[in-house]
Formats: sequence, C-alpha cells, structure tokens
Amino acid sequence: MKKKRFLALVLTAIMTAASLAGCASKSGSKSTETGAPTTAAENTTGTQTQTEEKTEEAKVTFPVTVTDQLGREVTIEKEPQKLVSGYYISTSIVIALDLEDKLVGVEAKAGKRAIYRLAAEDIVNLPSVGTAKEFDLEGCAALSPDLVIVPAKLKDKIASMEELGLTVIAVNPENNDLLKEAVELIGKATGQTAKADDLVKTIDKGISSLKDRVGSETDPTVYLAGNSNILQTAGAKMYQNTLIVNAGGVNVAAEIDDSYWAEVSYEQILKWDPDYIILAADADYTVDDVLKDTNLADCMAVKNGNVYILPSDTEALDSPVPAGYLGSYYIASVIHSDIVSEEDFQTEAVNFYEKFYGFTPYKN
Amino acid sequence: MRNSMDLHHTRTKIIIACILVAALAALSLIVGKYPLTVKGLIAGDTMQHRVLFNLRIPRTVMALIGGTGLGVAGFVFQTIFKNPLAAPDIIGVSSGASAGAAFSIVFISSGMITVTVSAFAGGVLAVLLSLILAGFTKGSKSISIVLAGIAVQALSQTALMVFKLAADPEKQLASIEYWIMGSLNGISITKIPFSAGVCIVCIAVIFIFGRQLLMLSLDEGEARMLGVPVRWMRFALLLVATFMVAAIISLTGLISFVGLIAPHSARLLTGDNRKSTMILSGLAGAIILTGADILARSVAAVELPVSVFTSILGAPFLVMLVIRRYKKYE
Repeated sequence: MKKKRFLALVLTAIMTAASLAGCASKSGSKSTETGAPTTAAENTTGTQTQTEEKTEEAKVTFPVTVTDQLGREVTIEKEPQKLVSGYYISTSIVIALDLEDKLVGVEAKAGKRAIYRLAAEDIVNLPSVGTAKEFDLEGCAALSPDLVIVPAKLKDKIASMEELGLTVIAVNPENNDLLKEAVELIGKATGQTAKADDLVKTIDKGISSLKDRVGSETDPTVYLAGNSNILQTAGAKMYQNTLIVNAGGVNVAAEIDDSYWAEVSYEQILKWDPDYIILAADADYTVDDVLKDTNLADCMAVKNGNVYILPSDTEALDSPVPAGYLGSYYIASVIHSDIVSEEDFQTEAVNFYEKFYGFTPYKN
Repeated sequence: MRNSMDLHHTRTKIIIACILVAALAALSLIVGKYPLTVKGLIAGDTMQHRVLFNLRIPRTVMALIGGTGLGVAGFVFQTIFKNPLAAPDIIGVSSGASAGAAFSIVFISSGMITVTVSAFAGGVLAVLLSLILAGFTKGSKSISIVLAGIAVQALSQTALMVFKLAADPEKQLASIEYWIMGSLNGISITKIPFSAGVCIVCIAVIFIFGRQLLMLSLDEGEARMLGVPVRWMRFALLLVATFMVAAIISLTGLISFVGLIAPHSARLLTGDNRKSTMILSGLAGAIILTGADILARSVAAVELPVSVFTSILGAPFLVMLVIRRYKKYE
C-alpha cells in the first residue's frame, strides 16, 4: 500500500517536471521560429534604386498572381472592390494606399485606433471580423469580400476561409523589410502598385536621410521600455531595436536575443546605465512614474530627466505600420536634439500623414 | 530510546536545513546583474548600497519568507485534508489570484500595485467562496471543501479565460501570461512590507495552533474528543494558510510546486507528521524558492519564470528522498 502511494507520488512529480520542462523548451525555441527581423535600414539604398525603376511600370492587369508573406501563391481574378482587413497594420496600409472606401470589414476594436478616426472615420463603424485570436469566419464570409487580408498568425484559418470561396492573402509585417514587402503585396493585389511604390520609397528616403544626418555623431545609449512595465525591454531581434539604430542610438539591451519583450531586473538597468529611457508608445505607465521610481534614481537617464515616451497621437510609432519609421525620427529628436529638432520630427510626420492619410497631425 | 534517537536526528536535520537556508540567502545576496563588491560597499558607493538595500536584500527576504509561507501552507493543507496531493491551489487560491490579476490588467491598470491588490482580492475571494459553499453541505467537510474548491477553480479559470479574451493581444495578454509565470523580479523594498508582514503573522498563528492542526489529521470524532473545535479550527487554519499564499503570489505571480513538495520533503525527512515536520516544511520551502530565484536571475541574460526552477529543483529532490526512503525499508 505504502509502496503504491510513493510510486504514485514519484510519477506525479516526474509528470509535472516533464510538462514544465516542455513548456520551458517551447518558449525557448520561440525566438528561432519567428526568425530574425533584419535591420532593414542596411539595405535601404538597394531597395531604393529598385523601386525607382519600377515607378513607370504599367498598372496591374487582372487576373494577377501574388506570393503572400506565408509563401502562398494566390491568384486574384479581378480588381477587388470589397476588402476585408483583419489586422491593424494591414488596415493602416490599406488606408495609406487610398483604398479605405473599399473596406467592408476590419479587425475588432477598430474604435480604439486614433488613426482610423483621423484618416478614415467610416472604418470605425464597419463590421468586425474579430481578432487574430478569434477570427470570425462566418462574419467575414457574410461580407462577401473580393479579397481578405489577414495576419500570418492566422495561418491555420486560411484553409477554411478558402473552402468558403474567399480569396485570402497573409501579411507578416514584423520588421521594416517585411513591412515594405507587405505594402508592395497589398499594392499588387489591389492594383495600387504606383501608390505602394511611392509609399515604400518615402519610407526608404525618410530612413536614409535620417541616417545621413545622425550618422557621424557619437551614439548615446537607449533603454526602450515595454508596454506593460519598465522592466520589459526590446532585444536585438525586435523591430524597436531597428528604430533605435536608425535614430543613431545604441540599444543597451541588444545583447538579448528574445523576439518578444524580455523581462529584465532593476539591477540590469542600473548596470546598463542608459543615457536615455524611452517608453513604448502604448505604455500603461507614465514618464513621471519612471522619474519617480526610487529604484532607478541613480540611473543616468533618470538623474538627467532624460525619460521620454514615443508618440501615439496617430499610431503607436513603435509598431511596424507604414508610419513606423517616424518613431526613429522621434527618437533622434530626443537623443540627437542638436541635429534633429522636435519640429523636424513633426514636419516629417505632417508631410507623411498629409500625403498618404489625408490629414494633418500635430496642428495644435 | 528510539524516540530520543529520532528527536536527535530531527534536530540535526533542522540544523542542517537552517545552515542551507543561510548559505542560500548569502549566495542570493551575492548573485545578480549589478556587480557588487565588498570594497565598493565598504567605501560607501551609493549605487552599490542602493542596489543591495533596495533590491537585493528585499528580493532575498521575499524568497525566504515566501518560500517558508508556501511550505507551511502546503503542510497545513496536506494535514487537514489527510491527502499528500493537497496544496493551497485545490481551494482555488491560485486561479482566483490569476483571475484577479488579469481583471486588473485588462480593466483597471497593469501597474504593480493595482495588480497586486486585485490578485490578492481574487485569491481571498475564491477561497472564501469555496469555504462558504462547503459550509452549505452536509456530510464530510473535507470532501465538501475539496469539491467546492474544484467548482470555484473552474469558475475562476473561466473568468480568467473571459478576461484573456477581452485583453488586447499585443500587450495585455502578454502581461497576463507574464504574471501567471511568476517571478521575484521587480520586488523592491517598498513592495514587500505587506506580503512579508502578512506571512510572518500567518506563520506565527499557524505555529501557535500547531498542536490543534496536527489533531485535525486524526479522525474527526477523535479530534473532537481531544477538545478541538474541529469545524471552526479547520476553517480558521485553512483561511490563514490561504490568506498567506494569496499575499505571496499576489506579489510574485504563481509559484508552482513549492507548496506541494516542501511538506513531502519534510515528512520524508522526519518520517512523521509532527511540529518539527512543519518547521522543516517551511525551511524546505525557503530553500527551494531561494535556490530557484538565484537560478532564475542568473542562468540567462533575461529574467526567467521562477516556477521553472522550483519544479526542476523540487522534483529530483523529492525523487531522491523517496528512493532513499525505500532503501531504508529494505
């Protein structure tokens, strides 16, 4: 009897340990799966000349076959008149490509996005097709769209969508290069290549001219704090790292190679002792919270009051939306304020949003 | 004769455990991302002083007290339910606290203080609900409490799922997952007084009623004959134990395995259910949690969830003790 009881105990212990070990290894391999977002800026010059040649290209003739960002070949029979976008980044691209009037459905919680209210008010009232977690297959089909744009995260749902007779392309804008690829993909699939090329070129030009301006300066160190608390940061593989590098800064957390927000300790921040602390645009805490955090009182950035938050007036400027490169402008205006002024950032933002989104931000 | 031998052995074991706790505590003060040097500390380097007093010491203290609390609470549960698999989780404290934390993250704020308060409230609420539901039933109370606990646990899991569904997948969902994974990271001197205070008081109360607790492991009738107000005492001790667990995990997030494994280790060491078993149980909890936290902060460039290591350390430890005990029987 006693023997049996102990055996049961040992088994339970082993099972628990094994299942936990399983969890651990799963989270460990996550980083390799997602792949390394490359530092986009390095290839900007190459892409630029390429896109310049393309501008004169004739309009897309349908049917057209595109390769989406999951590597699937999709043929679009005729120019889509009804679009569904199930992801905020693709919705933003759709607006930038002047296609917002063709949208018949968008992702859930569209009302929360400032950019929609500013650039395409009607979107907010469109039917929701759910989120990446809970995609509303039937609701999407009921809108009978000609083209559905979904995030690559919805990979498993695509087959069922196609069974319902929908034409689906997946986008995966995880970094600057993939963002530009997504813009070109959506442009081609909707017959808006010229506009897409223009958008990509503007982004490339914006980044390279910024890099030229801050290039020769000594690089201050930056700690980029995550959305939910100061102890989260972005490592080398994250889009945010590219933002800092393009702005002429050094990401203190570059040694971390997680592909998602990584958890660090106060001690670690103190050891890195960054010149600047910049909070993610959607941070749930404020610059004041950080300045008042006694645990960081001796950190260079806090001591000198160099704590800032990325703007979110239009879109979160640390997300890979088309306007994401403006995040670099903002960071540059903070860490290289002698070269790039806040007005420079605002001018760039105003020009960009006026051109592609048809509204003027920062007009107090 | 045999009795005094046992007592002697137990005392030695407690002393060894205490030495181990002290050694780990010392190691915990030394290990960390910010380099501390004896020279710098003596020279009065303000930065090193602050790291030591505001971060390193509070974190170590929390690991010690939290581990002890989880170990003792586990002992209380396994004794009252006369079941080696019982742990504070079975009456819903963990799932209640998770749901509370998720509620705060999604609907109020993901600030440390609101999350802690909300998680604590969630944990206590779940436990009260379990105990009140069990109070309505007839028949064996232990079984009623376990059944009510299972129901409440299911309920809080559902609530947690609903909150997760409502959460913004880009950040809130991740915050909930991070919270559930549990970590002693982010603990500083301003954050521990409540949790540590509650733990110390609760541990003291449990020790004061230690004799009555042990009697609860007897048959209900027998215990009553020995003058223990069974129903009341069981309710009170369960409440105190879970109150303590709620105070710990609301600050740290879920910590698995310590409450289950610490009392086992202690019982295997003493071979019995005694007051010394309870002491050893607390010490084992402190050893496991402090050891796990040292690894969680030093193995990788980032902070890892402490539960990974409580299990990795705890499981082989238990297996080793079981094997050793078998050998003794042969």
